[in-house]
Amino acid sequence: MFSAQSIAEKLAALDRRIIFLLVGIVVLIPLLVPLDLPVVVSRETRDFHDEIEALSDSAVLMLAIDYEPDTMAELDPMTLGVLRHCFRKGVRVVALSLYAGAPGIAQRLLEKAAGEYGRAYGEDYIYLGYNPDWSGTMLRLGESIKATYPKDQWGTPSVDLPLLKNVDSYDDVDLLVCINGSKYAEFWAAYAQARYGQRMVSGNTAVMSVFIYQYYNTGQISGFLGGIRGAAEYEKMLGLPADGTIAMGSQSCAHVLIVLLIIAGNVGYLLARRAKRKGSI
Amino acid sequence: MSRTAAIIIAFVLGLFMMIQFFIPHPAVTGIYNTLLDIKQIVLGCAFILGVLSLIRFHAGRIRQKQAGGWYSSAALLGLAVMVVMALVWGTEDGPYRWMFNNVQAPMQATMFSLLAFFVASAAYRAFRVRNLDASVLLAVGVVVMLGRVTLGTLLSWDIGGQTLSLAGASEWILHSVNVAAKRGILIGVGLGMIATALRIIIGLERTYLGRD
Repeated sequence: MFSAQSIAEKLAALDRRIIFLLVGIVVLIPLLVPLDLPVVVSRETRDFHDEIEALSDSAVLMLAIDYEPDTMAELDPMTLGVLRHCFRKGVRVVALSLYAGAPGIAQRLLEKAAGEYGRAYGEDYIYLGYNPDWSGTMLRLGESIKATYPKDQWGTPSVDLPLLKNVDSYDDVDLLVCINGSKYAEFWAAYAQARYGQRMVSGNTAVMSVFIYQYYNTGQISGFLGGIRGAAEYEKMLGLPADGTIAMGSQSCAHVLIVLLIIAGNVGYLLARRAKRKGSI
Repeated sequence: MSRTAAIIIAFVLGLFMMIQFFIPHPAVTGIYNTLLDIKQIVLGCAFILGVLSLIRFHAGRIRQKQAGGWYSSAALLGLAVMVVMALVWGTEDGPYRWMFNNVQAPMQATMFSLLAFFVASAAYRAFRVRNLDASVLLAVGVVVMLGRVTLGTLLSWDIGGQTLSLAGASEWILHSVNVAAKRGILIGVGLGMIATALRIIIGLERTYLGRD
């Protein structure tokens, strides 16, 4: 009924619609019915967590929310995790963005986390908004935050913000956290860390995290989160399982499916090649 | 004349920005800060140019009644609606925020999410053991993919008192092999950037000025 050759041909040339359907199923089901998968915390995530954990109660953390809605599924859990971590400890947050589509995301996450912990705008956290000149901003913040951002996102003069009363440059910032889906973590490392010695950690999409290892190994970036896995690990360390932990189930299933598809494709390919060789002899 | 002036400005400012790094004097820092402020203003103006260029491009498509011209109408309508809503009701609350959260954000996220489907399909078709290079790429890809998820941490073996796991192998690839390759690339890129910057400063590289 089914010859080895026909099976080989089918395995080697699966219809892409079947693949799309399988991916849809393995991604969707773990989101609807969360899997309780064990999460092992990596060294880089532990370092990321420990850097924030080591901050004093009144420390100032600069949070660069440098991404747009395209990567929010991967990065929102990290930003929310950082905000919850800070607000729980009492660390003050100076947030800003160097991506045009970021302010909407930043506003939503800041309001959500601040509401959960009863933190007040202006005292416990501020949002300086978007600045189009990314490299100039990274450098200028080392000289003066108030000059770089004369007003916050909502038009309040920076000099009137209580949080910035004694804060005006990297000298007054205890830790910089950059959440991004691009090369911005590397740029922050080059301009804020290398030039001004600003201590920093970063949260990155899985794709971009491969670029961060070299900065992590040299200590320029003190810790980082890589993709959904990093977010899930961080949530575990915080004891606040949320969207990152749930999404990790989807990612795990999707990775296993892709590996199975690769194996199926190769079995089909090898069987077809063998049959072809036999046919030619 | 204008090209010469541009080359002189590039030379003077390029040289200044290079030297100021080593001179932390308040006077030098003051000029440096002013230049950074000017840069912010120039970039702000570039946005205006970008919007004008976008309007011109799509208006031309609509005017010429090109195929798919209604996509251009949708683009211009979206731009106009968001600008008007932001100017009238502000961005903190109101219809602008509603549109961002309920239209722009889901659409952008959906476009990016489609990658998962195409990556799965592409991986299935591309990762074939055709030769040694492809086989190594496939093996590394599978180890990293499984090592980054829970299954990788569960798959481990004790060999001669040493625990070998897929997660460990994945970590090693990312921390050692990946870093070695990336560092080499980064050094090359850095040297290239320095060479290009020097060529611009001394006026050898003039392509940034465009044609006469």
